Amino acid sequence: MNKLKLNHTSLSFLPLLVCIPLGYQLINNIHFGGFKLFQEFLISAFNPKIDNEIIITAIKRLNETILIGFFSWLVSIIFGAIFGIISSNIFYKIFNIPNFFNHIIRFCLTIIRSIHEVVWGIILMQIYGINFSIGIIAICIPYIAVNSKVFAEQLETIDYKSFESINQINAPKFSSLLTLIWNPIINTFKNFGLYRLECAIRSTVILGLFGIGGIGTSIFLSFQTLNFRELWTYLWSLAILIILSGLIFKKIKFNTTNKILSIFFIAVFFITILFSFLYFLYFIFNNNFENLNSVSSLFKSSSDLGLFDFLKLILETINLSLLSTGIAISLPPLVIGIFNNNSSKIFIKIFAFLLRLIPTPVILLTLLTFNNPSLSLAALTLGLHNAGITSKLLFTNLDNQDKRNYIAMKSLGISKKTSWLLGLFSQQAKSYLAYCAYRSDIIIRETAIVGIIGSVGLGWQLQESLSSFAWQEVTVVLIAYSSIAIVGELINGKIKNSLT
Amino acid sequence: MNNTLLELKNISYKYKNNLILNKVNLKINSGDKIALLGKSGSGKTTLISVLNGTIKPTDGEVKLFNKSFEELDRKQKSKITTIWQDLRLIEDLSAEQNVNCGLLAENNFYFAFKNLLNISSFKKAHKYMKLCRLHNSIYDKKIRKLSGGQKQRVAIARSLIQESNILLADEPFNNLDPKLITTIKNLMLESVDKNDTKKSAKTVFVALHRLDLLNDFDKVIGIRDGKIFFNIKRNKLKKIHLEKIY
Repeated sequence: MNKLKLNHTSLSFLPLLVCIPLGYQLINNIHFGGFKLFQEFLISAFNPKIDNEIIITAIKRLNETILIGFFSWLVSIIFGAIFGIISSNIFYKIFNIPNFFNHIIRFCLTIIRSIHEVVWGIILMQIYGINFSIGIIAICIPYIAVNSKVFAEQLETIDYKSFESINQINAPKFSSLLTLIWNPIINTFKNFGLYRLECAIRSTVILGLFGIGGIGTSIFLSFQTLNFRELWTYLWSLAILIILSGLIFKKIKFNTTNKILSIFFIAVFFITILFSFLYFLYFIFNNNFENLNSVSSLFKSSSDLGLFDFLKLILETINLSLLSTGIAISLPPLVIGIFNNNSSKIFIKIFAFLLRLIPTPVILLTLLTFNNPSLSLAALTLGLHNAGITSKLLFTNLDNQDKRNYIAMKSLGISKKTSWLLGLFSQQAKSYLAYCAYRSDIIIRETAIVGIIGSVGLGWQLQESLSSFAWQEVTVVLIAYSSIAIVGELINGKIKNSLT
Repeated sequence: MNNTLLELKNISYKYKNNLILNKVNLKINSGDKIALLGKSGSGKTTLISVLNGTIKPTDGEVKLFNKSFEELDRKQKSKITTIWQDLRLIEDLSAEQNVNCGLLAENNFYFAFKNLLNISSFKKAHKYMKLCRLHNSIYDKKIRKLSGGQKQRVAIARSLIQESNILLADEPFNNLDPKLITTIKNLMLESVDKNDTKKSAKTVFVALHRLDLLNDFDKVIGIRDGKIFFNIKRNKLKKIHLEKIY
């Protein structure tokens, strides 16, 4: 008998097997109690509330969102670049510093980025109370660590021979460093910077759902009061912001040969650093730290969390990550492959856009109108949201791909679906899986958000422990969370390396 | 008077259990014009890397100005410049920015910064680029957009602009047409003669393949399997010497 051989194409569809247990639980949990609400939610999408008052509120809230998003992006991209430099091998080679310090910095950054910005936000809100700067700080903390990883990875691509050559000129060490890193840093900023701004705006919306302000807070309040028409006004205005920013980002071209522009960017760089430090000092000395005292009881507070329950929560979180990743990987190629015609494509693209647009907690709360809370429902939510993101990438890559194979196969009389699978998708499968490996890192972190809303896994426990100021439990949950994310990152890193 | 600039004493270099250099002894005096001959893989590039301090030998001692590399300060180290066989230019920088990199050692951080922002003076860089017969239309072009010969000349200009006492070059005439070879060779060797009267004499150590270029050198060293087979004056070079190394 022939052995079953898995290639990248079949591996892209294999995770779809998660739909079997998932579907079974979802069907068992179905209820029709909130069907009318769900219907109303859908109808409201085509009939959002439009009057002066709500439009002014939406603009005001969007302004807040843009402000929080922009400042957190600016600070995180600049400090991300700085930490990227000091966690890159080239820095240690030039200054002859033992690599041991590099490992320590990288380890700290890994821990920091393993915790989602929502978790940072909730913890900070619990300690300092709700204010505008908490949103910026909560986004900045993990974003600096994420950005630093990207910058450091780019700096690792510096040709070692260029380093030797500059080193042999015996220039001052800072001059050598600057000359070698300048272009990788600028290129990373060009290719990655604006994408992170979009991410920062999305994170601001999510944090808004937890009360930090901006359009997210309005979305959540409208949902809580079941005012779906108002909710859709906010969602559509957010959609307009995201589409507009996408169009603007496409038009922006960074011309590094323009001297005035370069000097302007450098001025922004230093002013941001200076301002961040000053603001940090101001924040430290001017906050009343209402609940900070409760943190000092960290080692005094006792934990009611039993070992068995705790292990169960860890397993639930891992399960949630795996199921969501399965959906996010397999659903886009399956749907695009089956509905492979122009009109369906437009519909899929709109649906994928909505999945990206609507924050995961709102998707989850909507699905709760006809399904009982369960791990499967949380996984479906997270999977669908991320499938919206992976499908965008897949569409872009497929659109840019050479279609000669596909046309040749169709001309041989092979069906459209098979030609698409073998002539188009098979060539994208490897890079698509590599991106999905990176995406699954994010999914693991995002389990915290759906966990909090959907009463699943460690996210739920974290919310419970924070509400009761049980800091010892919070610490234990965070360590567990961080460990899962770090192990996940290591495994995904290995998968990604084997695919690229 | 002892005018030895660089000295290798019993140098050996091992890489992954392969002996690349085997007990090499060598003295390079001020003003020497040395050609290093040897077939591919004989250890020429490794010898040059040991001479400029890029790689540390497994055994033996390297002395520059009678001091080990560890004892030298940055300024003393910068008195050696190298033209690498694989050029080692920074692909994303322009030709003139790359040539200006040769001036990093004698300038401060602000100069490096201005160079990257394209706001530093390129006067000196242009002078050396012109000497290397580089047309001004390529001055601001990125390295990756240049031809092999143009890249080669940018690398040579970057080394020459350093105006160092010792010029090490690893097959610097690759990718160049015969007319350019003569120009570049004269440029590298003339600088020795011109400066001779001014301050300390400049020294040239060039790894070569082409025997027709030996005429302008005064010493020839032959290397094979990491061992120096001969170290003689150029006018004493005979066919038998070459047979030993090729």
